[in-house]
Amino acid sequence: MADQLRSWPDERLQRLLTDRPDLATPAPHDFGQLASRAAVRSSIARALDGLTRGELSVLDALVVAGQTNESELVDLVHARPGHAVDVVRRLVDLALAWESPEGLRALTVVADALVGGPEAGVSGLRPRSAAPRPLDELRAVIDALPDEARALLEHVVANGSTAKPGSARIGLRPEDAESPAELLIAHRLLLPGGSLQPGLLVVPGEVGLALRGGRTTTTPVDEPPHVASEPRMARLADSAAVGAATDVVRRTGMLLEWWGTRPAAALRTTGLGVRELRAAAAHLQVAEREAALIVEVAVEAGLAGTRADADGNPVWVPTDEFDRWRDLPPAEQWTALARAWLASPRLPSLVGERGPDQKPWNALTPELAAAGMPEAKAMVLRVLAGLPDGEGLAAGTGVPSLVARIAWERPRRPRTRPDLVAWAAAEAAVLGITGADVLAPHGRALVEGGDPVAVLGAVLPKPVDHVLLQADLTAVAPGPLEPDLARRLHQVADVDSHGAATVYRFSNASVRRALDNGWTAAEVHAFLLAASRTPVPQPLSYLVDDVARSFGRLRVGAASAFVRSDDEAALAALVNHPRAASLGLQRIAPTVLVSTVPVDVLLPRLRELGAAPVVEGPDGVVRVGAPEGLRARTPRTREGADGARASARQAAQVANAVRSVRDGDEAARSRPASASAPGGGVLSALRDAVERRGVVVIGFTDNQGVVTERPVLPLVVEGGQLTARDADASDDDPDAERRYAVHRISRVVPVS
Amino acid sequence: MSDGPLIVQSDKSLLLEVDHEQAAECRKAIAPFAELERSPEHVHTYRLTPLGLWNARAAGHDAEQVVDTLLTYSRYPVPHALLVDVAETMARYGRLRLEKHPTHGLVLTSTDRPVLEEVLRAKKVAGMLGARLDDLPHDEQGVVVHPSERGNLKQALLKLGWPAEDYAGYVDGEAHPIELAEDGWALRTYQGEAAESFWHGGSGVVVLPCGAGKTIVGAAAMAHARATTLILVTNTVSARQWKDELVRRTSLTPDEIGEYSGTVKEIRPVTIATYQVVTTKRKGVYPHLELFDARDWGLIVYDEVHLLPAPIFRMTADLQARRRLGLTATLVREDGREGDVFSLIGPKRYDAPWKDIEAQGWIAPADCVEVRVSLPDASRMVYATAEPEERYRLAACTPEKLGVVRDLVTRHAGQPTLVIGQYLEQIDELAATLDAPVITGQTPVKERQRLFDGFRSGEIGLLVVSKVANFSIDLPTAEVAIQVSGSFGSRQEEAQRLGRLLRPGDPGPDGERKVAHFYTIVARDTVDAEFAQNRQRFLAEQGYAYRIIDAQDLTGA
Repeated sequence: MADQLRSWPDERLQRLLTDRPDLATPAPHDFGQLASRAAVRSSIARALDGLTRGELSVLDALVVAGQTNESELVDLVHARPGHAVDVVRRLVDLALAWESPEGLRALTVVADALVGGPEAGVSGLRPRSAAPRPLDELRAVIDALPDEARALLEHVVANGSTAKPGSARIGLRPEDAESPAELLIAHRLLLPGGSLQPGLLVVPGEVGLALRGGRTTTTPVDEPPHVASEPRMARLADSAAVGAATDVVRRTGMLLEWWGTRPAAALRTTGLGVRELRAAAAHLQVAEREAALIVEVAVEAGLAGTRADADGNPVWVPTDEFDRWRDLPPAEQWTALARAWLASPRLPSLVGERGPDQKPWNALTPELAAAGMPEAKAMVLRVLAGLPDGEGLAAGTGVPSLVARIAWERPRRPRTRPDLVAWAAAEAAVLGITGADVLAPHGRALVEGGDPVAVLGAVLPKPVDHVLLQADLTAVAPGPLEPDLARRLHQVADVDSHGAATVYRFSNASVRRALDNGWTAAEVHAFLLAASRTPVPQPLSYLVDDVARSFGRLRVGAASAFVRSDDEAALAALVNHPRAASLGLQRIAPTVLVSTVPVDVLLPRLRELGAAPVVEGPDGVVRVGAPEGLRARTPRTREGADGARASARQAAQVANAVRSVRDGDEAARSRPASASAPGGGVLSALRDAVERRGVVVIGFTDNQGVVTERPVLPLVVEGGQLTARDADASDDDPDAERRYAVHRISRVVPVS
Repeated sequence: MSDGPLIVQSDKSLLLEVDHEQAAECRKAIAPFAELERSPEHVHTYRLTPLGLWNARAAGHDAEQVVDTLLTYSRYPVPHALLVDVAETMARYGRLRLEKHPTHGLVLTSTDRPVLEEVLRAKKVAGMLGARLDDLPHDEQGVVVHPSERGNLKQALLKLGWPAEDYAGYVDGEAHPIELAEDGWALRTYQGEAAESFWHGGSGVVVLPCGAGKTIVGAAAMAHARATTLILVTNTVSARQWKDELVRRTSLTPDEIGEYSGTVKEIRPVTIATYQVVTTKRKGVYPHLELFDARDWGLIVYDEVHLLPAPIFRMTADLQARRRLGLTATLVREDGREGDVFSLIGPKRYDAPWKDIEAQGWIAPADCVEVRVSLPDASRMVYATAEPEERYRLAACTPEKLGVVRDLVTRHAGQPTLVIGQYLEQIDELAATLDAPVITGQTPVKERQRLFDGFRSGEIGLLVVSKVANFSIDLPTAEVAIQVSGSFGSRQEEAQRLGRLLRPGDPGPDGERKVAHFYTIVARDTVDAEFAQNRQRFLAEQGYAYRIIDAQDLTGA
């Protein structure tokens, strides 16, 4: 094998390493290593994963054949002759088969890696014996079999070509056989499995081949299932795709602009909560499922991310990449989203469905992804690309046939594939890669590595630079607005209806918002006049003037205190007083001054300036009062005065001291035996107690790992176990006797 | 990409650019299935609703046509989800059919078993249905319907989203000869078409703009039915007008037409009843319910369907075997009960393109002016400290308005003018200032009739009226209306006032039709102005030119 690889030209090796990238990382030292790496089971399984059922069938035939050549293989495979030849060359290129000196053969590990049933291209036949009996002879034997024996043989071959012998006897002559199984054994159609299949009977590959008419399968293997398609109106399909593409771009922008001002709270798992998703769906006027897709794609495209808000809670907000994306032409915006989707393993279609823990999946949950999703997307689009021109997936039967086709293309894929394929098809439609289940031209460019930007850009509506103003205070933008115009219009008016066109509505609040943002009435008028292709309706001009008229009529400012007086001259004097500058006095009305200084500072300062202020409460009533004199807290008096109490306390203290001295002495005599003490202190202490028939307090670790103390009367110590009786139990209590493991007892304290 | 006049929004609104060269063509194409929501000067907004789509289905349009229309006229790609939704919604209509079975009587049938099962399991229809039927031809599934539940069932099915098509037919009713008497006038083409499509549809609603002659459509429908007819109208004055109009336009004599109202209770072959009397409730029962059974009515006409009160819906539910004609200017109801109109009275049978009728000169153009009055400081103080519930009244009745009214009346001297108010004191005050006759709710019907007749004939040039004039009063000669106060800015009221009062007169000697003037006097910076904003929006949405001027600029304007 290594020699063969060594003989390959460079480009062939490059192809191998491209098709089986795991062989190249890390770079192999030499061809021997490359060959052995190519024969590793996991690498082979990976290579097999990328094969179609037709290719797997040929490989299976190669395994059955054991050692063969191309012409024999063509006979074995139920397919066009060209198919087997093409495939086997590819298999050799993939280093799954090789031209050994003796002939063409599959790598030995391949046989083990080929698992699954006919749907995975596995015929279920065993490899041929080393010296197979001729086909004609086997056919004659099989044809002569009685019906039940033949049925049994077919059953065994259909179920992996192995069988348990049961009570069938081995080594009989055909004439002595009493059961169909024995007859098959006698005819050497069923052979003992030998050391590889101990205790089993196997049907040799050549027998299976003979049974299936000399081929590994009875049905052709090179016919991929037909994808049900039907003609679609081109106009409908194009319109659907371009419409969806514009919608998804518009909605993504809308969502992120919205999140920019009103961030969406992130869950602890960084997902997006149900309520946030629902709010987003309502804002975008789409179903939650579609909203989940938009959210996921936006995040995949790097347009949104999490950060902490002012309170430190994680929130989803647009990224700075969004600011760049926002200024791109729509076709480029779409391409960024579509590419992100294509490469994304995320499963937004699962959002809202219940997961294994019966909890609904949240959008943006990290676990909400499947490794097979990008491949499913690519396969779906590739199959759609292969449909005849002007045809789309048939309604109803289209998706199941698509699943069947992809199951043929990649038979070794997981069980969840039907879902993945259906989701991929549905999501592609939402993104506008397909329209009415026809791959759109820009979608084709995306899949086939073309330039979707140019294709889509040519069909996307051109941005318009004007709006139509109407007397019902709406402005209709008859198409996508130029971004700058749209942004400015957003400040002056609220959006009423989204879509290809946008309807804006002017209201008191929206015009006031513009004024708040620093516009002047004249600027609003000028903007409207410039943006509108039609004359500005009189009610709209009136509205702007009316709002401007009342704008700023109320003034708000910050002040810490006010000074009020009916004597305007006195106030004027105060404001102009040379030493009043530090008081931050400002005259807001003839009779009112405000100050930036708080009342308790202002009051003495005003007095210093020779004024005679009084304080006014919130209710307008004058508060008068001399300042309270300063006082400290009275210290607590000592108790020493009470002689009787002191002597009683002293007496108690003395008694306590005596008792503790005595206790200490006692403790020294009966110091607890500790487990850690050298010489098996616990064991000897226990034995001692048994001998003494004395009560001890044992400290032990119970089954819950809790250290407990218990006074017990030790009875017996043997076999590492202490049998003891609870010291405080009544004599007739049968449950009082318990056993403790000695190694769990950490200390023993004699109780005298 | 086409350059069509239509923009299809993903929120199911359709924007039609009026000045586009294909606009008229597009309008005609989308009118059957989309409801006109707003029609300001440049871009009209239509909306796709399930009811609108079902109306279109009832009129024989299919989803493919609708989709094709949208794609043809749309300037931008149409959201695919919307097209799918259109197809799905339209497919829901007519899956279920109400039919008359020769042996089982009224039955609900369907060839779509799952739909029928879904419906049968719904709690809402439990109790309306009887035994299952399995002897229907052509794989049909069916279930017996209690005849009394025909209306309720249709209502319930609509709520479930599976509106039933009613093929169960109608009783003929008691025959009565009615002919149109086309002497000196002729049925306008669209009126004839409207009556025709109603008759072929069986029951349903005819939508015509204010002033387009809905009474005559009613008369034409009666001439088709040639049967006793019950006409339900909004109020007594309107009842009188119906009577006069019927006498003038048909072979009916005054003796054949009865009025059933608060004051008179006649039941004749053609009976005109007011909503109010029919819905009067005493001690928990409707004493005038027997009206519906008083005769074997062959046709029931509902005037101003969009105002139909809830009890009438309940009564209508029991009248499903009789032909029902609804007349209205708009299918939009402020209470959102469009679905009940659809299921109980019937789908829209005719809808005249509004602009066409206007272009034909059947509706007068109008110049709407809002005059803003500044309150003097003293009044502002009173207003600022008033209780919230008093505020509107204070603002609406500010004496400042009197002077403005006087100015306006003087300016339009010689043109028939109506001054409309809400509050009686204010109306009296106005009448005294202007020295004009007054009509309020307290004015006896005879007196009202006399004054209206006088106004119509030109004897009276100035009339001060309360809200009684809102509905169903033809004052085609009015050229100027001055609204001093209204009931909290109801859009409905606005439409009525404008539509009703400003009917097109005869063209002047120079062939020019009059331009009606509609003034609203509003106190600045008060709730009055807030309500006025609603009205302004509504009028502008209806396509009327609208201006706002300050009272002090009035003299110059």
